[in-house]
Amino acid sequence: MEKVLLRNVDVPDSHTLAVYRSRGGYRAWEEVVKNIRPEQLIEEVKASGLRGRGGAGFPTGMKWSFVPKDSPKPKYLVCNADESEPGTFKDRLLIEKDPHAIIEGTLMAAYAIQSHTAFIYIRGELAFGAKRLDQAVNEAIETGYIGKNIMGSGYDLDVIVHKGAGAYICGEETALLSSLEGGRGWPKVKPPFPATHGLFGCPTVVNNVETLAVLPWIIGHGAAAYAAMGTEKSKGTKLFSVSGHISKPGVYEVEMGYPFVKLLEEDCGGVANGRKLKGVIPGGGSMPVLRPEEIEKVNLDYESVQAAGSLLGSGGVIVMDDTTCMVRAALNLARFFAHESCGQCSPCREGCHWMEKIFHRIEHGEGQRGDLELILDVSGNIMGNTICPFGDAAAMPAAAFIKKYREEFEAHIEEKRCTVGME
Amino acid sequence: MDPINITIDGRQVTTTKGKTLIEAAAEIGIAIPHYCYHPKLSIAGNCRMCLVEIEKMPKLQIACNTQAMEGMSVFTQSPKVLAIRKAVMEFLLVNHPLDCPICDQAGECWLQDYYMTHDQQASRFEERKEHDRKREVFGPNVVFDGERCIKCTRCVRFLQEVTHTDELAVVNRSDHSTIALFPGAILDNPLSANVVDICPVGALTDRDFRFKVRVWYLQKTPSICPGCSTGCNISVETYQNRIARFKPRINEAVNSHWLCDEGRYCFHDLTGGERLTTPMIRHEGGLVPTTWDKALQAVLSGLRSAAPSAAVLSGRNTNEEAFLFAKLMKKMTSDRVLEVFYQERELTEVQKILMSPDRSPNFRGAREMGVSSNGGFDSLMQKLKQGNFSGAYVVGEDLISIDRDPDEVGQALKKLSFLVVQDIRMTETAQLAHVVLPSTHFGEKEGTYTNRKGRVQKLNAATITPEGALQDWEIFVRLLDASGELVSHSTPSEVFDALAKEIPGYQGLSYATIGAQGIQLGGEGQS
Repeated sequence: MEKVLLRNVDVPDSHTLAVYRSRGGYRAWEEVVKNIRPEQLIEEVKASGLRGRGGAGFPTGMKWSFVPKDSPKPKYLVCNADESEPGTFKDRLLIEKDPHAIIEGTLMAAYAIQSHTAFIYIRGELAFGAKRLDQAVNEAIETGYIGKNIMGSGYDLDVIVHKGAGAYICGEETALLSSLEGGRGWPKVKPPFPATHGLFGCPTVVNNVETLAVLPWIIGHGAAAYAAMGTEKSKGTKLFSVSGHISKPGVYEVEMGYPFVKLLEEDCGGVANGRKLKGVIPGGGSMPVLRPEEIEKVNLDYESVQAAGSLLGSGGVIVMDDTTCMVRAALNLARFFAHESCGQCSPCREGCHWMEKIFHRIEHGEGQRGDLELILDVSGNIMGNTICPFGDAAAMPAAAFIKKYREEFEAHIEEKRCTVGME
Repeated sequence: MDPINITIDGRQVTTTKGKTLIEAAAEIGIAIPHYCYHPKLSIAGNCRMCLVEIEKMPKLQIACNTQAMEGMSVFTQSPKVLAIRKAVMEFLLVNHPLDCPICDQAGECWLQDYYMTHDQQASRFEERKEHDRKREVFGPNVVFDGERCIKCTRCVRFLQEVTHTDELAVVNRSDHSTIALFPGAILDNPLSANVVDICPVGALTDRDFRFKVRVWYLQKTPSICPGCSTGCNISVETYQNRIARFKPRINEAVNSHWLCDEGRYCFHDLTGGERLTTPMIRHEGGLVPTTWDKALQAVLSGLRSAAPSAAVLSGRNTNEEAFLFAKLMKKMTSDRVLEVFYQERELTEVQKILMSPDRSPNFRGAREMGVSSNGGFDSLMQKLKQGNFSGAYVVGEDLISIDRDPDEVGQALKKLSFLVVQDIRMTETAQLAHVVLPSTHFGEKEGTYTNRKGRVQKLNAATITPEGALQDWEIFVRLLDASGELVSHSTPSEVFDALAKEIPGYQGLSYATIGAQGIQLGGEGQS
């Protein structure tokens, strides 16, 4: 398969403008800004079938088309580089190794919605990546790809790299906007949606790094070439960051619809140290865990993973072998969500830590009968009832670990200790 | 305003486009429970108590932020909705200390009320509760208990959106989220105590009121704030014949939901101190108790022989009292100056949200009743200091203490041949009087005030006048009777109906139809 997103990352000095241009970089942008009308660009991206790679998989072209054309307010394009989903490190690779692809995609998306100010909101901890992006933006400004009257087109665009302060919730698009506005990183109550009332109350599109980085390729090769890859509903390629008990952890690019087992067994060399697979989270820490038998026929596309009872999410694949205590794994994730809940709405604020406390008791030999039903009930009360998807993100994995490894949780409660790996 | 049709719990409702479900439901008497929603604040959507089920929508929606749409079918009592209310109540109580027995909010706490109406089940939370700051003083009037707080952010939004003073914010994350003062800030703006009113739980309590009375013992009397001429609608809340607190009453034409701190706590100054309970008369240089008949006779003969005379009425006297007082003074002496006490001060921007520059709630009404000689109060005081008067009748104001030059006023009063003071306490002015008449304060009165904008509003007696003192209107009626002007009024309402026949601008009003929200002069309620 031809590399699309990872086409540049292995080239020495791939982060520099010189190398990026030598590999065809910014030609697509020049073509777009000089010869393509915004609505044509939107149609082209719609035709490519590209869906948002931040986790929700919403069609990108359609998202752009929701921005009102006749609004008197300024419009904003925001690149979401706040990658913080547990087990996800695909954007980081692009940020550090191919920042110009992200910038070129950001320019195109901004042009599509006729925004004249674009922001790249990068996670605070990615200090090196932020430096790379800053350097790349400066190079692009010096070369005239960003600025006033870009390449004589009459189109103006400014790009600002903004570093977050390290809260997971700021990856949620409206919390990101609150943070970018200088406020507390709290998700906004919807409706209204960002397309009409986003940053500073103005029409705004927030796109993920991976979504934007693929745009130069789509325009360079044509929507049809992109749509020719993948499945009927999940087009193109996708990055997967594979971690945990796996022989060759790393970022992999595969066509949508690639067999999950093939990725793990062939590309990644199987479970580390020849051990047996116990479970795998396919789409980042907030997605339900799957048992080995559940992934046998799963392909890596939105529909297939969903049919198996989980979600493709961010493509953060976390592999757990048979030495893993699933109670501890559940506790680990519950602790993360209890810590990261923004505290705005009642179910998530109170429920996440409550679940963590119960998991903690079970893991530490103080579990009681009824605890599992209680967690399932609490997670059910959070699920779907919160301001933003964080509630679901905390509830889904908690419920999935219990449902799929119930015998292990019950053993912890009965034996009052961990019995994993003790034959 | 486009009308649209929706269904709530099977009932057809016609509402208007743009209304939220919580508003549309309220219009037909369906109360959707809520904490963070407040009609005067922006939508926060954080408590999740108002989640309702909407046909064709997979998830429950918050009624506070969902606009009614044509054809929408809403369920506020479906099994899913009843279940999520129990769930939200359980979440809100997870880290709540359940300290109702020592919480001042008990009895008017939304957690208690909704627990009874929507929850009524034991919590399944057995873990250690998270702790937070207890009794942190936010400002002179407000104290915070972080453990009782449900983070509805009403207080934060009030300070952002109404006063624009921004003293408070939410800090920290997860269940360690809490409300805190910005570094260096104090919650001491002129409207600060409103955050106590809008706090649905025991997180913010009133430092002046707390621990004085259990709220279920309070008797609540609708009335008007005597603090200034804005005329904020209040509930005077009393316990054992003492005023325990003021709470704002909602009146969109006057004060909306709010009450300023100065007004809220003014009853301490206006009602405190030792009360006069017997008339007094000057005898051999000192004031000695006498009977009402003798005292009133002394007033009549004193005023008749002392011309020219000054008549000062407090701005806290009612229209009915002012009407009778003006009649009395005009009858008693042909050479007199009548004025209502009036002083102005500069107001800050935040004060201007609610407060008027004076401290005379019925300044406008009393003048309209005839207590006005067109020179104004300052001019009357000027004349008094210059020795232009021989007699004076001072009602409800301590002229010495309110003046910038108390000594000069005292000297002027001493020179009068006759001074009658009608008040509730032995003030410095009263000590110089020839006759002292014990009267009543605003809290003991029935009657009307006309606010700065010409709204006639009702006062109701919240406490009982002490034995021996008389209502001001009754004193004036007795004096009028004794002077030969027979007035047959036996209640303030009769006085009002009489004045409505005489006073320009008040024609067509009747005491019975003023109602709890008052009537605008020249407005629709005036026939």
